[in-house]
Amino acid sequence: MERKIFILLLLFAVSTVKAQEKESLNLFTDRDLYISGETLLLKVFAPASEQSGIANIDLINRKGKKITGVILEIINHQADGFVYLPDSLSSGSYLLRTSTRTNKIQTCKEIYIANRFTGLPESNSDMKLSGVIPVNETSIQNLQVDGIEDQYKPRQKGHAMLQLPAALITQIDGDLSVSISGVTQEDKSRQFLQKSETEINQSIAKEGIIIEGIITDLKTAKPFKNAVVYLSIPDSIPGFQYYITEEDGHFIFQLGKYYGKIPVVIQCFAKEKASLLKININDRNNLSSEMPAYEPRAFSPEFRKSVAISTDAVTFRKIFNQQEIAIQPAPVVKRDAYPYYGVPTKTIDPQLFVELPDFNEISKELLPGVKFRNYNRIPTLQVFNAAQLYYFNDPPLLLLDGIPIRDLNVIKDMGTKDIDKVEICQNERFYGDLIFPGVVAIYTSKADYTRVPESNDLIKLSLEVIQPHAVVNAPSEQRLNEPDLRQVILWEPTLKPAPKMELDFQTSDIRGSYKLVVRGKNRDGSIIYKEQSFEVD
Amino acid sequence: MANRILYIITFFGLMATTSLTAQNELLQKWNPEKIKGTRQIPYPSYSGSPFMNDKFIMGEIEFSDGTKIDSLGLRYSSYRDEIIYYNAAISAQIIIDKISLKGFSFTDESGTKRVFRHQYYNGFFPGERYFEVLSDGDIALLVYRKIVLQVCPPYNDNAGNLKNMSYQPAYNYYLYNDKKGYELIRLNRNSLLSNFDKLTQKSVKKILRKNKVQVTDESSFVIAWNLLKENGIIVKF
Repeated sequence: MERKIFILLLLFAVSTVKAQEKESLNLFTDRDLYISGETLLLKVFAPASEQSGIANIDLINRKGKKITGVILEIINHQADGFVYLPDSLSSGSYLLRTSTRTNKIQTCKEIYIANRFTGLPESNSDMKLSGVIPVNETSIQNLQVDGIEDQYKPRQKGHAMLQLPAALITQIDGDLSVSISGVTQEDKSRQFLQKSETEINQSIAKEGIIIEGIITDLKTAKPFKNAVVYLSIPDSIPGFQYYITEEDGHFIFQLGKYYGKIPVVIQCFAKEKASLLKININDRNNLSSEMPAYEPRAFSPEFRKSVAISTDAVTFRKIFNQQEIAIQPAPVVKRDAYPYYGVPTKTIDPQLFVELPDFNEISKELLPGVKFRNYNRIPTLQVFNAAQLYYFNDPPLLLLDGIPIRDLNVIKDMGTKDIDKVEICQNERFYGDLIFPGVVAIYTSKADYTRVPESNDLIKLSLEVIQPHAVVNAPSEQRLNEPDLRQVILWEPTLKPAPKMELDFQTSDIRGSYKLVVRGKNRDGSIIYKEQSFEVD
Repeated sequence: MANRILYIITFFGLMATTSLTAQNELLQKWNPEKIKGTRQIPYPSYSGSPFMNDKFIMGEIEFSDGTKIDSLGLRYSSYRDEIIYYNAAISAQIIIDKISLKGFSFTDESGTKRVFRHQYYNGFFPGERYFEVLSDGDIALLVYRKIVLQVCPPYNDNAGNLKNMSYQPAYNYYLYNDKKGYELIRLNRNSLLSNFDKLTQKSVKKILRKNKVQVTDESSFVIAWNLLKENGIIVKF
């Protein structure tokens, strides 16, 4: 009977692992061996059940510390991107980890990065992963790869045709990923799953990254209730969000579809009483997970040779300024047609008028319905309520390049030269539950919001948000006299499954073994692949 | 022993269920769409009502990007062509920015669902307007529920003040097509028939007669219009 219980438990464990595999992300890279300063190309397949629209890719060292990372947009259950491997990375084994905010399972892949300047460790030994269970991948028998020869010459053009049976096309979820890159005999790393320490009630990052943190009282360091937190994204039409904290002082913002690097300003103030507050942003870099075990490894002569060839290739590519990838323009995202503070009643360009030395003069001479005074060195600002014909008692929403400003001293010295335009709203504006007794929006000539001072309750961030799409550069016809030292000769991460798929490639000047790898994900969550090797000599 | 196996299986089953439930019940604390607008200033008090619905009625608004917010207390001001919502958190009546909306809808006290669409009107007094959709389709039947302030015979209001202005409905009905624009239409039989060629007019008359529909007002006009649509009769537009 005990044997039966054991068998039952074993079956349960196996089914749990299988279920985990189906609910987890899948991560593939163009190669397993990299040189520092190179670009790593990657493809992620997400399960159909994945609610998040954003996948985080982190490069972590053996101690679990994040070195670098990117954020990819999951579209149609898949994402692809790239990671610049810093030149300063020391040689060793690293983990590439993909995760979402809500998925309890992280998918990791071991890669080896050799430093371009120091090479492999002189001791001829290093550490490698041990004891991890790789994710199952099924070889597709009925995917036919035609046209690949056993041997090519350097810079020879090649053609391959992938033939998929109709039954298989209906099984595949999303696109196929195809790559041709150089391979080392020794290094064959596969992805494995790891449990994430994700909190249960995590908000889903549906279409943009999430910024969260806690507002604390500066004196007591306790979470602060009823703090109003503003998030502004300076732009020609600025982005804006707000959050009013509860007992736990926690705030959360979801940015929309922003690509590349964007400036973000977060500030807070007490809704009722005047308290000094502090913003504490939750650092997602500290997302911890148990690190797998490592064991010693020795480098084979073939591996050392591969590293030497790759190092030379990378160095020469840098010398000849050959870019591995070309970043595509970010997709145009339709945003609000007008600023969050409303369509301005009046827009004034002070540079069309006589030059004025400070904002006091500008408000008096050029800004109708804006009363800026600086009596006894205490500046005040009021806006005329055009609907009810009186000046609002409360100060208006004052914006500098789209960032709300509470300290009027910031603008008092601004003269004509500093200001590009001023927009005024002469009515009581509402944004959700916020009330603005008029609006004065100043756009500076430099548009660099350097006048906005950073403090405990105002943080300026420069955020890497969703990574823009990139394509691998093809060899240039105009640079034929330069060496072609591409190690990835084909990278097509979004190949639409079709009965016949044509692939064209050209080998580089690097001789050695290459492998064409086709990968995809079935609708049942299982991973499929097909490989075909050839030599370049 | 069999019981023990059952307990083990039940235990693992329960574990799996709770973990799934936890993932589904993810909290979403922020409101992605914030309503933008200005404070509604009370209108001058005269006889008649400047609003289509005097009380706030629960309704739905749709933003230009297609996102919707429902369960909002809405009131349509026919006088100013504005949609006003009540923000209970700050106790304010707010005119939602017309530019930000695609339309709105609510069910009035009689139980009729009223759907309004934000469109640009390029005729006399052009501008952005809310049109109520009486019948949608390739050719839509729209009404611009305008209320105007008109001079009327003198009267004393509730406070005993003598006044000579009142809010009066001045509704305009239109046939609308995306390509051909607006065509003003009156709510009578002749106006309806004039939208068909002579041959079709006969069958229109027959259908109206058969269904005992006499086109005299808005409701009968809408009934007649929908009947003709059901019978596949095409309007000459």
